[in-house]
Order: sequence, then structure tokens, then C-alpha cells
Amino acid sequence: MLIKVQSAANSGLNTIGIDVEVNVANRGLPGFDIVGLPDKEVQESRERVKTAILSSRIEFPQKKITVNLAPADVPKEGSAYDLPIAVGILAALTDCPIPEKSLFFGELSLSGDLRHTKGALLLALFAKENGYKNVFVPKDSANEAAIVRGVNVYPVENLHQLLVHFLERESILPLIYQPVEEVLTDDLTEFDMKDILGQEQAKRAMEIAAAGGHNILLVGNPGAGKTMLARALPGILPSLNEAESLEATKIHSAAGVIPPGGALLVQRQFRSPHHTASQVGLIGGGSRPRPGEISLAHRGVLFLDEFNEFPRSVLEALRQPLEDGFVTISRSQERVLYPARFMLVASANPCPCGYLNHPKKVCVCSLQQIKKYQKRISGPLLDRIDLHVDVPPVDVKELAENQKASEFLESSKIIKERVILARKIQQARFAEDSIHVNAEMKNSHIKKYCPLAKEVERILQQAGVKFQLSARAYLKMIKISRTIADLAGVPEIGVNHMAEALQYRQKNYGQEI
Amino acid sequence: MAKRFNLQTGKIGEQIARTYLEKQGYKILEQNFKTEYAEIDLITRKKNEIILVEVRTKRGELFGTPEDSLNKRKLRKLHWNANAYVSGIRWSGHYRVDAVCIVLGQDNSAQRINHYKNVV
Repeated sequence: MLIKVQSAANSGLNTIGIDVEVNVANRGLPGFDIVGLPDKEVQESRERVKTAILSSRIEFPQKKITVNLAPADVPKEGSAYDLPIAVGILAALTDCPIPEKSLFFGELSLSGDLRHTKGALLLALFAKENGYKNVFVPKDSANEAAIVRGVNVYPVENLHQLLVHFLERESILPLIYQPVEEVLTDDLTEFDMKDILGQEQAKRAMEIAAAGGHNILLVGNPGAGKTMLARALPGILPSLNEAESLEATKIHSAAGVIPPGGALLVQRQFRSPHHTASQVGLIGGGSRPRPGEISLAHRGVLFLDEFNEFPRSVLEALRQPLEDGFVTISRSQERVLYPARFMLVASANPCPCGYLNHPKKVCVCSLQQIKKYQKRISGPLLDRIDLHVDVPPVDVKELAENQKASEFLESSKIIKERVILARKIQQARFAEDSIHVNAEMKNSHIKKYCPLAKEVERILQQAGVKFQLSARAYLKMIKISRTIADLAGVPEIGVNHMAEALQYRQKNYGQEI
Repeated sequence: MAKRFNLQTGKIGEQIARTYLEKQGYKILEQNFKTEYAEIDLITRKKNEIILVEVRTKRGELFGTPEDSLNKRKLRKLHWNANAYVSGIRWSGHYRVDAVCIVLGQDNSAQRINHYKNVV
């Protein structure tokens, strides 16, 4: 008896339909074979399916079972075919009707329960695009799939429950997604901006970076508060909007990092890989390419602490995704495109000993050492970082005074509200474009949205000559001043905005000492 | 002790298979024929085809069915064995390998006999 069950395979963020054909033959030596380019995980699904069916108190047939995963030339990986194979065998055994236009997806445990399986969201999206009505997924993955409206998502707990559902009709109810309301939470981050004493200029720079999605480099002596500033950043970033959230959740679903029962990501991701991270870990890769840190940080923050301790090859690999906002990973088996539109926050010391330019302490590094240290970050990479900020050490005396005044400092919540307003202005501006924030503006956008008044242009040109700004740096200044004007709620870029933007130009780091 | 017991089970099974096949119209050519690889339980002939039969016998199905004991490796061995036999007798006609699975009851009678044709 031949049964056809529909499922899907995820490759990167793309999904293709897979027909799972199950034949239970009366003739031939009993056995259980899977064909259609299955990998090890899919081959092993035979044992899981067999035991899961036995655990559901159904006798496993002593017959020749052949499973074909079509199309046969697409490599099949992962454990998600357990459910469609089991359903096919059960349907052949019990003659229970399988609902039409349905997709099955999920990993079985030996007890017959369904386990959280990665990629359920991608499956649901595929179902919607291709006119499938029902999606059967593990209960733990159902929240994730239910984000997609217009498809019935059935949360399945175990195989037995599913069989009862088929035979007695509709005992499992489709899950209806409850959207999480946006809340202004200030207790989620480790640090509040008001806990950081002094560093007003750096905080202002963080605010601008957060508002416009700009990349930022913090350079300073040890203990000045660079890491603290970066860690406080999530507290001033707005939550993801619906479109952004879906993009980010898709990547997380494909990577399998959504916890069981998890749904849409609401908070922007803050990823801080250690500087021993490999190129594949950061960019993504593997023979079946998986997303790396930069893609997991999509629409969020990638924080690289001790920026110049990262291997050079790893940092240089960041250049292209920083520019394009996506990364294409080509391997012999497949080619995958992962979005990687993230905000880069980097922190570094000015020299190996860390005390270069310190007002009191003496730097003990030789000129050669400093040069070598700063040269670890290439010019092109620094050129892609919009805001360059010095984080000077805080005077201890000042610190004690500020301690008392800390209640009067602005909290992250207040800054976040300003950032949200600035982002709203940008959202309205880019309503017709495919970009979200000022940092993403291309030349054409700059021409369209950032007309400069005469005196503003004069300042910029003067600065360009004096500081020898590159063409890219020149445009960067316009983008930053646009964000500063947005924060101020002013439609036109003024002289003061441009003057402030010029403070954040690329300074000495990596060039001269 | 146990080994000899299994051997005895096999012998009983082969005898049951032999009578079963004879009833079905198979002509028994050899029993326990040894090639350079291993032993072939039964070699039969029906019409113009030589059928090499592997007999699997179990006492009860509590510890796995006789079908379970025919894994890929054993089937491959049967295949080689069959080739060796037919080339040894310079047979140029059709041949195939069958499996007869027998489950014995307490009284050494067959509880079930399954005949699977062309298993390799």
C-alpha cells in the first residue's frame, strides 16, 4: 500500500517541498529502507520511528517498508522527517485518512513524543506561500510556526494523539498565535546608562549609534568603561518591529537556537562572541552552511570586545557583510544566503599596555609596538565604522562626586524613548525604500533625503580638506548628521548637527600616532 | 551446551523447511552444501531455476524474529555464496536466493513458516 505524506526541507532560509512516499509491501523480506539521499540523521530515523510506533502501542508491521524522499537529488538532513515517515506507516497500517494539503514536520523520541525541531517557522511560511492548509509540528515548536497567519498550525504532543486526531477527527485544536505586546522593559539589561558615571560624550555617541543603527568603535584605556557602555546598549535600543522580528526569527529558527516554546524575537539580539571565535563561527559556514554570529545578530548588535585581538582573517571577513547586509556562503553541496544587517560595536585599547594618551599613567610601549598593535585592524574595516569615539579614563575624584549625582543622570529608559522617536522619523522617511535606518542609506538615498544647506556643506568641505576625509568618510558624516538631526527632531541638517558629526570622524587609530 | 542446542534447533528447522519445500514442488538437490565461503542450507530446483535457500529458525519470538537475524551482512554473504555455487557447477540458467523463516513452539513443531522469495 502506497501512502504519500508531504513535508519540507530547509536549506539555509529557503524551503522546498518534500514528498515522503511510504510503501508497506506484503511481499519480500521484512525490512525498513529509506532512499532519496538521506544523510546519517535521516537513516537513523528508522530506529526512532520503529520504536516510537511500538511505544504508541501499535504493532510494527513485519513487512517490507520502503520510504522514498522525493525529489531524490536533494540531500535530506535532520530529524524532521521522523513524523512524516511515521504518519505514512501508520496510515498504511490503519487506513486512517490523512488530511489533505497538510505538512508534517518533527523529530520523534523513542517514547513516541515529539521533540522541538529546528526550522518550524520556515515550514509554516512555506506552507502559506504554497497553499497548504494544515501544518503538524511538535508542540514545543508550534508557537514559532503559529506566527504565520492563514495556516492551521496543529501542536502535536505525541504520535498516539495524532492517530486519535485522524481517526476521531479534530481532537487537536489549531494553535492561535498571541502576539506579545511591546513593553518598555528596563530590567532586561545588565547595565543602565545611569549607572555609568562620567563618559557623557561616549554615552551621547552610543545614543546616536542606537538611533541610526551606526557602527561604532570605542577606543580607550583599560577600565574606562568601554565594555560597560556596550553592554548598556541593548537597554536603549527599541524593540524589533514586526518585519525585522520575522527576519531575525527566521534565521534563529534555521539555526535551531529558538528555545522550545519560543516564538517571535522581540528584543534585539546582543551577540558578543569571544575573540577566539573562528571565521566560520562568526560569518557562518560548514559543509551544510549554518548561520554565524553576524547573522544571529541580524537587526541587533554584534559586540566585538578587544577588537584587535580577533584574528585578522576573521575581521577582514566582516568587510563584505558590513557593506552588503547579507553574507553568501558557498560550499560544494549548496549555496546559502543569510541576512546579516547588524550594528557593529567594537572596543579596543589604544596600545598593548593600554595607557597611551592616559592623562596620568605612562605608556611603556615602543612606537613600533603601538604601530603593530593598531595595524591589526585594517583601514578598509575602520572606514566602515561610522562613529569613532574616545573613551577617556574617568578621574577618581570626579567619580566620587558623580556617585552622589547618579540619580540625576539620564536612565536608559529616557534615552530609549528618544531613540524610538528618532527611529520613527526614519521609518516614515524610508517607508518606500527597503531600508530601515540611516546607517543603511546608499548614495542615492543620501542625495534624496539629506540635502545640505550651503553653510553646512561649507563646513563639511573644510573638514574634508583639513582631516583628509575619504569619499566614504564624507558620506558617513552626512549620515551621522542626519541621525543627530533626527534625534533633535529637526527635518533639516543644521550646522550644529554637522559639527557634532565631525567629532566622531575616524581619528588616529590605525593611521598615525 | 547452548551452542549445541542452537545447532539442534537449526537441524530441526532445516528438516521442516525441506519437507515444506518438497510439498511445494521444489526438488531438493543438496542439503548443507559447503562452498569455499560458507554453507548453503538447502539447494533446490523448480522448473528451470536453481533456488538456494537459507533457513532461519528460532524458538519463540521473544528474543527477536528469524527475519531480524537476516541483516545486510548475512544477505551479502548469501549472495556471494550463491554465485560461488552456480559457477562451481557451471550453471548458466536462472537462479535465486530464498529465505525460509521458521518459528518453533515448545514441542519442536513449526508455529509459523514464512517463505521469502528472491531476498538478495
